[in-house]
Amino acid sequence: MLDIYLLQQIINGLSIGLVYALMAIGFTLIFGVLNVVNFAHGEVYMIGAFAGLMLITWSAPPLLGVVLFVLAVGAATGIGLERLAFKPFRRFRDEASLRSRAMREATLLSSLAVSIVTREVMTHIFGSEMQTIPQAWLLQHPIRIGALMITDGDLVIFAASVVMLGALQYMLFRTRIGLSIRAVANSPLGAQFVGIDTDRAIIATFAVGSMLGAVAGILVGLYSGTITPQMGFAPGIKAFVAMVMGGLSSIPGAVICALLLGVAESITTEFLASGWQDLVAYAFLIATLVFFPQGLFGVGRDRA
Amino acid sequence: MMKHLLGTVMGAALLAWAIPAGAQTRTIVIGYQLPLTGDSSHYGEVFRNAAEIKLQEFKDAGGMPGANISVRYEDSKNDAKEGRNIAQMFVDDKSIVGVLGDFNSTVSMAAAEIYAKAGMPQLSQTASHPDFVKISKWQFRNITTQAYEGPFNAGWMREKGISKASVVAIQNDWGQSCAGNFVDAFKAKGGTVLSTEYFNPATRDFRSIVTKLNRAAPEALYLCMFYEDGASFMQQRKELGNTAQLFGASSLFEDQLVKLAGPAADGLFLSSNFMPTNPDPKVQKFVTEYKTKYGSVPNQFAAQAYDAMGIMLEAIKKAGPNVTRDSLRDALAQTKDYPGVTGATTFDPVTREPQKTVVRMTIANGQYVLAK
Repeated sequence: MLDIYLLQQIINGLSIGLVYALMAIGFTLIFGVLNVVNFAHGEVYMIGAFAGLMLITWSAPPLLGVVLFVLAVGAATGIGLERLAFKPFRRFRDEASLRSRAMREATLLSSLAVSIVTREVMTHIFGSEMQTIPQAWLLQHPIRIGALMITDGDLVIFAASVVMLGALQYMLFRTRIGLSIRAVANSPLGAQFVGIDTDRAIIATFAVGSMLGAVAGILVGLYSGTITPQMGFAPGIKAFVAMVMGGLSSIPGAVICALLLGVAESITTEFLASGWQDLVAYAFLIATLVFFPQGLFGVGRDRA
Repeated sequence: MMKHLLGTVMGAALLAWAIPAGAQTRTIVIGYQLPLTGDSSHYGEVFRNAAEIKLQEFKDAGGMPGANISVRYEDSKNDAKEGRNIAQMFVDDKSIVGVLGDFNSTVSMAAAEIYAKAGMPQLSQTASHPDFVKISKWQFRNITTQAYEGPFNAGWMREKGISKASVVAIQNDWGQSCAGNFVDAFKAKGGTVLSTEYFNPATRDFRSIVTKLNRAAPEALYLCMFYEDGASFMQQRKELGNTAQLFGASSLFEDQLVKLAGPAADGLFLSSNFMPTNPDPKVQKFVTEYKTKYGSVPNQFAAQAYDAMGIMLEAIKKAGPNVTRDSLRDALAQTKDYPGVTGATTFDPVTREPQKTVVRMTIANGQYVLAK
């Protein structure tokens, strides 16, 4: 039953899952703090990929240099996004506005608007076709382990996920800004009462979340060979599913669920057909919502 | 009574407005529905570019006396719903006598139902699903269908001594007809089809499918997909060590494929009816003009649209300045040996299917070359 091809499928699935996980980390971080879905996260991911590609074609720094550059671009994009789509809705500081569902849903739509506009502007500038990536930069060199095949991209993405997750946990639990981010996530009103600069914490969240998103974009772009203005959409949806399954604000939970989704997809291809894989992913989502309304790793919390 | 009177007055007013307008130079509009935004917008762009060149050439060559021809482009976003909305809009626009588009078979067929009902001639440059022209007598296309291409490629594979093949196809109307036509013909010619794998549009990870194919181990793969899927597929196939011989539908004829996939694309066999390096003066004139105006070599999609526009303009000219939707349809149906850049085109008088010539090609060292 467990032959070499099936094992290969599981590896394929884990590498798909890691791609979703990379994206889900930043996505979940922003959701955890603001309690709104940032629909523009996929566009941050796309901008990260384009920025990295432009640097690569302009000069050819080492991969680490590209990553540092993309981190900076990601932070700038995140701060800009916050300014454009989220800040205008935080003008009112009274309790009613902070707890208002309508306010939250308005930012959901404003982030969606920013996402659509960004995507179409990028399409206008770069065209919707796949960008040409210099062959030497593609993270697609096969590495053979016995009869199994992985690529250098799998290793890079795995390492990036581990580093990101570790750095994020360190920041959230060991630094002062992390403490204020967690305080705002826990209760924005309470955080204000104890004198935390909530604006600063929120901006920091966007900067960090978008840095992660942008790096995910360039790495996945080089790994899959696909950099287009539309590239953020499909993984964005899967990252969203992983986040919901993982319990909305649990970052490790989202990562585990992303891996689960990836493996489910490749196993579906093996036993049914590739066309069914989205169905299986969404079936997982529905089953989770029915049997674990808090998500697999979620804890109950006040969402009023 | 009052209502009746009002109707008469309004009718008379309309008539009075219409008569002087008719006496002057008439404006004839061609509707063109195509994806200009969204993930297929680069196809729409080249259609528009090529159509504009053809229209300009037509005007430079004297155009049509007594009428001014213009094109109204509408963005269908490669979405069937949008396609239907545009179709309705075009039907309501009385100045439009004929429609070009849409890009893929799904959207073209959704819009076609509306054109069929309203009696509007529709000529798609690329919709190759066998059922498209069967919808009604108002549908035409300027591309050979999978019903022709599938058996052609199946025969070619059999000539090369391949008896076991697998198909990888995109999950849409076009992909299904591409795979179906090939599979039937390959079986009829004595081959065995080991598996047919469909993938959802916008899939970028083909590793699972390739692993499954490695298990089945066919001698050749037949790819029913567009160049972007093709590039990802071929790269990942190489990664996973699959060495089956590659054959593909003509949709993979696109310079970008070679740029994106690099050496992974070498050895692909495919057929096409347009090659920009064709020494034919018509082709060279088009290629030069396209390069001057848009700075790139036109692909087969551009060529397809260029000829579709040409066929439409010829038919309008034939129908004369008093052209109606009915007379334009009849003129289109009579298209015979239209000298285009994608070969001479004739619409079959009964099925309205186009007849064209195809060439065999392969990719060697990153170049499309004629296959031996």
